[in-house]
Amino acid sequence: MNLLNVQNLCKTYGSGEVRVDALRNVSFAMDKGEFAAVIGESGSGKSTLLNCIGALDVPTSGKVYVDGLDLFSMKEEKRTIYRRRNIGFVFQSFQLVAELTVEQNIMFPLLLDYRKPEQEYLEEILEVLGLWDRRRHLPGQLSGGQQQRVAIGRALITRPKLILADEPTGNLDSKSSQDVIDLLMQASRRYQQTILMITHNQNLAASADRVMRVSDGILTDLGGNANEKLS
Amino acid sequence: MKSYLDLISVSAKVHRKQTRMTRLCIAVSVFLIAAIFGMADMFLQSQREQAIQSDGAWHVRLNGITQELTALIDARPETETGCRYAVTNYRLDMDYTIDGTKTVLCGFDETFFDLFPGIHLTEGNFPQKEDEALVTESVRDRLDLAAGDTVEVKTPDGALQFRISGFVEDTSDLLKGGAFGLFLDTDTYCAAFQDVTLQEDFVYYVKFVPGCRIQKTLDDIIRQLGIPKEAAGENTKLMGLLLQSRDSYILSLYLAAVILAVLVAFAGMLMILGSLNSSVSRRTEFFGMMRCLGATGRQIRQFVRREALSWCRTAVPSGLAASILTVWILCGALKAISPTYFGAMPALGISWIGLVCGCVIGLLTVLAASRTPAKKAARVSPLTAVSGNAGTVFAAKRAANTKLFHVETALGIHHAAGSKKNLLLLTASFAFGIILFLSFSTGVDFMRHALTPLRPYTPDVSIVSQNNGCDLPDTLLAELKADPDVKRVFGRSFAYDLPAVLHGKNRTAVLISYEDYQFGWAQDDLAQGSIEAVKNGEGVLLAAKDGFSAEAGDEIIIETKLGRQTVRVAGVLSYAPFDGGKDTGTLICSEQFFRRLTGENGYTILDVQLEDHSDRAAEEIEEMAAGRYLFSDQRESNREVRAVYYSFALFVYGFLAVIALIAVFNIVNSIGMSVSARMYQYGAMRAIGTSIRQLNGMIAAETFTYLACGLCTGLAAGFPLHYFLYRQIITARWGDAWSLPAAEFGIIAIVMVLSAVAAAAGPVRRIRRMSVVETIHTQ
Repeated sequence: MNLLNVQNLCKTYGSGEVRVDALRNVSFAMDKGEFAAVIGESGSGKSTLLNCIGALDVPTSGKVYVDGLDLFSMKEEKRTIYRRRNIGFVFQSFQLVAELTVEQNIMFPLLLDYRKPEQEYLEEILEVLGLWDRRRHLPGQLSGGQQQRVAIGRALITRPKLILADEPTGNLDSKSSQDVIDLLMQASRRYQQTILMITHNQNLAASADRVMRVSDGILTDLGGNANEKLS
Repeated sequence: MKSYLDLISVSAKVHRKQTRMTRLCIAVSVFLIAAIFGMADMFLQSQREQAIQSDGAWHVRLNGITQELTALIDARPETETGCRYAVTNYRLDMDYTIDGTKTVLCGFDETFFDLFPGIHLTEGNFPQKEDEALVTESVRDRLDLAAGDTVEVKTPDGALQFRISGFVEDTSDLLKGGAFGLFLDTDTYCAAFQDVTLQEDFVYYVKFVPGCRIQKTLDDIIRQLGIPKEAAGENTKLMGLLLQSRDSYILSLYLAAVILAVLVAFAGMLMILGSLNSSVSRRTEFFGMMRCLGATGRQIRQFVRREALSWCRTAVPSGLAASILTVWILCGALKAISPTYFGAMPALGISWIGLVCGCVIGLLTVLAASRTPAKKAARVSPLTAVSGNAGTVFAAKRAANTKLFHVETALGIHHAAGSKKNLLLLTASFAFGIILFLSFSTGVDFMRHALTPLRPYTPDVSIVSQNNGCDLPDTLLAELKADPDVKRVFGRSFAYDLPAVLHGKNRTAVLISYEDYQFGWAQDDLAQGSIEAVKNGEGVLLAAKDGFSAEAGDEIIIETKLGRQTVRVAGVLSYAPFDGGKDTGTLICSEQFFRRLTGENGYTILDVQLEDHSDRAAEEIEEMAAGRYLFSDQRESNREVRAVYYSFALFVYGFLAVIALIAVFNIVNSIGMSVSARMYQYGAMRAIGTSIRQLNGMIAAETFTYLACGLCTGLAAGFPLHYFLYRQIITARWGDAWSLPAAEFGIIAIVMVLSAVAAAAGPVRRIRRMSVVETIHTQ
């Protein structure tokens, strides 16, 4: 069964001479537990695609179904709540809340829902992400790699069906980058979560189950044998 | 672009909104300081002119000193003008008359008219010969005299004749006493009347040169010439307005004025500091970027100074221009409303003190406040500075408490309290709104005490007994009551100078009768006992005063023409509109009781309030009094009192409204700026699932934190300051005890709460319109 279904997604900015078609009839689907990477040049439209799938941006036309639900048929407030419960985000620039500790940042989506986290699960995430000793630290006291791990923990805490990662290794060194990819893959396997990751690093994309390329707003599915097709 | 300094205008264009708010803040602060100081300056100038017109331009008065001493004082370099003055019969108790009318005799030097510009020589010249004299205009009009004619003064020692050299305007005292005035040159006066003039009635008035330290000079004169201290007196009002007074009440007013001036200056400074502080983070990043690109510390400082000056270049002149315009409008309005009291207000005056204060305080504060980001950027590594982690907004030193509150509330509180400096500035800024409002609200109390507004019992016209007796009959009262133009009429009977015994001591008392209206108005001033008992003739009301105090239930023996009678004090009034003298008790009773005690059956005065204030109604009543009784028309003076009161009220309440508006502006601006500075953060939070409602809650929590801290601090500092100022301004003069200004606090607190709600609404709208993608991608 498809967890994510994107149909004829179009996104256009501006009009007339300054019109830019960032996405052109993008359609694809992803199964539960699948880990896919999207590659492409700068300005090719990959971030726009991720933002539309994550309902951070509204497409010009087309549909996005997550677990069979049309995201854009919902009202803004309901969509926000659905998003924070069912879609996890990992951003290149981490987007942590500076005033919250590591533990609070990870719990943040649950706190927004006025729910208490399962202590066991929280501890498990902290252990898996190697942040147990740092759980009382503020983001400003962490390295970039540690901050990105916190962001991954935050994306995992609600056990979302879908995790969207926008260049999660963009601000990290190669060692930390590989660690982050390993963690995402581990999550995909362990918690059966569908992960869609944008990256410009073809070596990291090779770790994914499936690779897609976006070029001038058009998506091409490169399939599962990524290593062969990328080379 | 020729130099890196050209970035200033580029940066200003990019951050147009932020720059506009900063400029607006500076302009408003400069306006506030310049307008307040300017109005105070204009008020002082007009009051100085008014004081000179009413009390004279002299500074110091020395009584009973010899001619030699006056010559010595006159010769001092500090003395600008001196004038010898002597007077006889100013109490009108001696037999000096012109054509049978009591006459006051004065002698003074020609400089008198310089020192008393309110008294005008309307015709002719100052006496140049020994037989010449000036007389008042009433002498000219009544005796049909002209300059050059001869006037005869009858004295107890015989008649004296003087040739009239000119005429002088009648003074209000002379008119009130129905007396004439004859004025001679001092030397002529001394030759004729020295022997009959009391030593203390020889006065020497001195006006010192501008810039002279008058009190020190006076001390020197007294010490060097051996003049007793009691002989010296000062023109209190003028000296007070020249900031040269030693009068203890004036000194306490100075202190209050200094405190209020400092508060105003601080409020302006805080507004600028608060406004600039909220852009510190953005600016620190910018300076960090410049340092990364190789700018030296000196170049950054130069940049900062230029940027601050570029803000001031437009903001300071606009603030000053607005203040000048406001001062002109206010002065014009006050002049129009009350020409008598505010007539001396400069029409299009410029207050240099106000302008200099506004300019200097504004400029220095901006220069000082704008250095903070540069210093911060210089202190940390360029990389930290450029990352934004050195700013006050995004740096966090401790975590928000999500256990006590919902996460959005906890973050809102943390946004407010996270940076101590930011919290301190905004709290102080909010609190200053309250402190200023409470402090300046003592001005309302001052106005209520200093300017007696029209009381409900103020009459439009009165009919008064010619000899202060009780000879106005009941029929006259009935006749007035029947007049359809009369709204209300109420009579009082007076029995003056009654020998009285209180607590075994001999005193004097004045007994006054009231009717129902007057008892009703007195109810508000009842401090002890019962007015009902007095109305029923069971005793008297006593007006409380130091020299004649008693409790309800005490007995007073009074002696009327019916003999000694004992009356019981049935009630004590804290205030009565009559005062018989320092140690004379004022006793008030019912009409029947008065008649029983004194045997008198008429009234001394009948006060009339008219339905319409037309001349026709007043003229009818004047006709009723004609020939038999005195008629007093108070409509014009009532109008003037009303005008003065309302113009003062306009001034004081207008001022309070400006302060409240400034508090509103400050709150709206502070919240707006604080939210603007966090827009990226809000965008990021939206991206990870924070709803708009939750962000609204976060802003509301932040606003509420500032508000709560501001209210508490304002309360803690405002009440003691109000107490202090009240004691200095009101208690010191009128003796009223301080009471908690709860209503004033309530008003400003409501204004601030409503402003906070309005302040939060703007950012909420912006958040609703915010594009999450654009916001997080611009980071």
